[in-house]
Amino acid sequence: MIRILIVEDDANIAKLVEATVAIGGYEGVVCSNGAEAFEKIEHENYDLILLDVMLPDMSGFEIIQNRTNTSAPVIFITAKQELTDKVRGLRLGAEDYIVKPFEAMELLARIEVILRRVKRTENVYSYGNISVNVEEHTCKYDGEEVYLTPKEFEVLVFFIQHKDVAISRDRLLSAVWGFEYEGETRTIDIHIQQLRKKLNLRDKLVTIPKLGYRLESAKE
Amino acid sequence: MKLWQKIFLYTLILVMLAVSMTSILLLKNSFSFSLDQKKQSVYNEHEFLITSFKSMMVTERLRSNAIVLEEKELKKYMESTFDKTGNNNGIMFCNGQSEQIYANKDMKLPSGLLEAVKDTGKSYMQIQGYQLYTASSESMEGKTYYVVTESDITDVMEIHENMLWQIQVISMVCAIVIALILLVVVKTLLLPLKKINEGTRAIAQGSYQKRIQEKGHDELSELAHNMNRMAEAVETNVSALEHVAEDRKHFIDNLAHEMKTPLTSILGFSDLLQIKKEVTEENRIEYAGIIKAEASRMRTLSGKLMELITVGETNLDWQMEDMQRLFAEIGTSLGVITDKRKMYLICESEPGTLWVDRELFKSLLYNLVDNAVKASREGDKIQVMGRFEEDLFEIQVSDEGMGIPSEEIEKITQAFYMVDKVRGREKGGVGLGLALCKEIVSLHRGTMRFESRQGTGTKVFISMKGGEHA
Repeated sequence: MIRILIVEDDANIAKLVEATVAIGGYEGVVCSNGAEAFEKIEHENYDLILLDVMLPDMSGFEIIQNRTNTSAPVIFITAKQELTDKVRGLRLGAEDYIVKPFEAMELLARIEVILRRVKRTENVYSYGNISVNVEEHTCKYDGEEVYLTPKEFEVLVFFIQHKDVAISRDRLLSAVWGFEYEGETRTIDIHIQQLRKKLNLRDKLVTIPKLGYRLESAKE
Repeated sequence: MKLWQKIFLYTLILVMLAVSMTSILLLKNSFSFSLDQKKQSVYNEHEFLITSFKSMMVTERLRSNAIVLEEKELKKYMESTFDKTGNNNGIMFCNGQSEQIYANKDMKLPSGLLEAVKDTGKSYMQIQGYQLYTASSESMEGKTYYVVTESDITDVMEIHENMLWQIQVISMVCAIVIALILLVVVKTLLLPLKKINEGTRAIAQGSYQKRIQEKGHDELSELAHNMNRMAEAVETNVSALEHVAEDRKHFIDNLAHEMKTPLTSILGFSDLLQIKKEVTEENRIEYAGIIKAEASRMRTLSGKLMELITVGETNLDWQMEDMQRLFAEIGTSLGVITDKRKMYLICESEPGTLWVDRELFKSLLYNLVDNAVKASREGDKIQVMGRFEEDLFEIQVSDEGMGIPSEEIEKITQAFYMVDKVRGREKGGVGLGLALCKEIVSLHRGTMRFESRQGTGTKVFISMKGGEHA
């Protein structure tokens, strides 16, 4: 299981981040001060570190500068929005920089991007009698290959990664089509219909009124 | 044109004008003097020539035994007398009709000379070219004749022209020398001005800490001094403005941070509640509880913030308030809070009146007691005492709580400053209470002071003017 170190001094936000990474199926380890976090980073191996910049005893920047165990990628979490801080964070070797307040799905999406980049995610997902290979870009239904367009494929992977989570159309748009895409959410509905038809997901890929869609877990 | 160029040019023109005027005048004087002398000698010569000719003519008349000599005979005699002389000077005789009788050489008379002599009967001298012509009317042998002599005055004229040329050369040399000296003098005198200029330019470009060198006691050093004073004033004002801007930026940074923390929780947990398919009862209560707590923190923050922002702006209602009654009133409403936490509150004042805004004064004491409550434990005592000291009204709020570390005391009235952020937030604080108290006290033209020892408690001393002991 993928382990994520959460360094955050505000107890509520720490709890929030922990609950959020749990949705993505990751194990979160919470740590509320800089010194303790530094010890953990040095002596334990994590797959990812979510690091608050403003900690009561030392800054997140300091922790990153001083660490010798650089195996884990870092995402800074901060209330500061200034560009100089962002540049500084990225210069120090952080993979990403997320500004408070953030949405749960946004944080999750960023985490997934980083994990995919450092190749710590699985390549093969299976859901019921559907199996998906991200590397080969193939999708099999009952062992037989089903042809999906690239966007349909990405939508499917996104839903399988977030089973039992209601995904809004906007969230899906920005995750699959990119933040700059300003298309109609209608596009999403068409892709969902195609997926339902091609993979027989009519009962599983349910519509949530006024919100979006959800892929129910495969277990009956 | 630059100032030094103007000064240089005008001075040079003036000096040159004065020099050339003087020399031309002097030259003219000396020339007219020498010309006068020459004229005198020429005239004497003319007179002498005529006198001797006249006397010689008498002799001739006697010799030729004639009563009068006719024009023709005269001419002959003139030829015999003057042709041989070999004199450089020319001589001409004319009859009464201005017709030439005799001339020892070719002479071209200046026009009007004979007419002038004829009209007045006096002698006349006139210059034409380098020749001086002297004319006079003489009566000889019963007839009027005009005699004109021509004398060479080249020497006088040439000396004059020579001197004129010399003066021109000398003036040119003088001009160059004066120009050089002037250039150096003007440049040296205006050097401080250049420095002032450079200095003010540097100051204008933003180096307000720069000063101009002040040397000597002339107007320029005075100017430099005044410029320096101006720069000093600008520097002070700018640094004050920068300080205010920095304070404001700091305040806004803190405000943004203080707002983002609860917002992150509210947004995040409500998001979780929305997107998760199944939320356990336990989680639902926990998440909703956090959202509620953080929202109420936002409410406190916005309320305190509004209070802080509007404290100086709203129309204050200044009244003479009876302190004993006001303290009793405040004690009653605060007693509800302290009773709930099992603390003892004493809130009383000596009788007397103070000029206050009732609502702000209450807010001040509420905030101070609220802080005391947050710092105290069950069973502790909180005291709010008011007393009159001459024209001052002094308030003392004391508790037996945890106290403030001495190095933090200076910072506690800063907005959003909290000695212990985690604990402060747990107790619902946003870090604006003492900043508000400070504003209220300064509106009442009072002072506020803290005394604290960790573990034994904190004392707040406030003194306000305008109190009247009953």
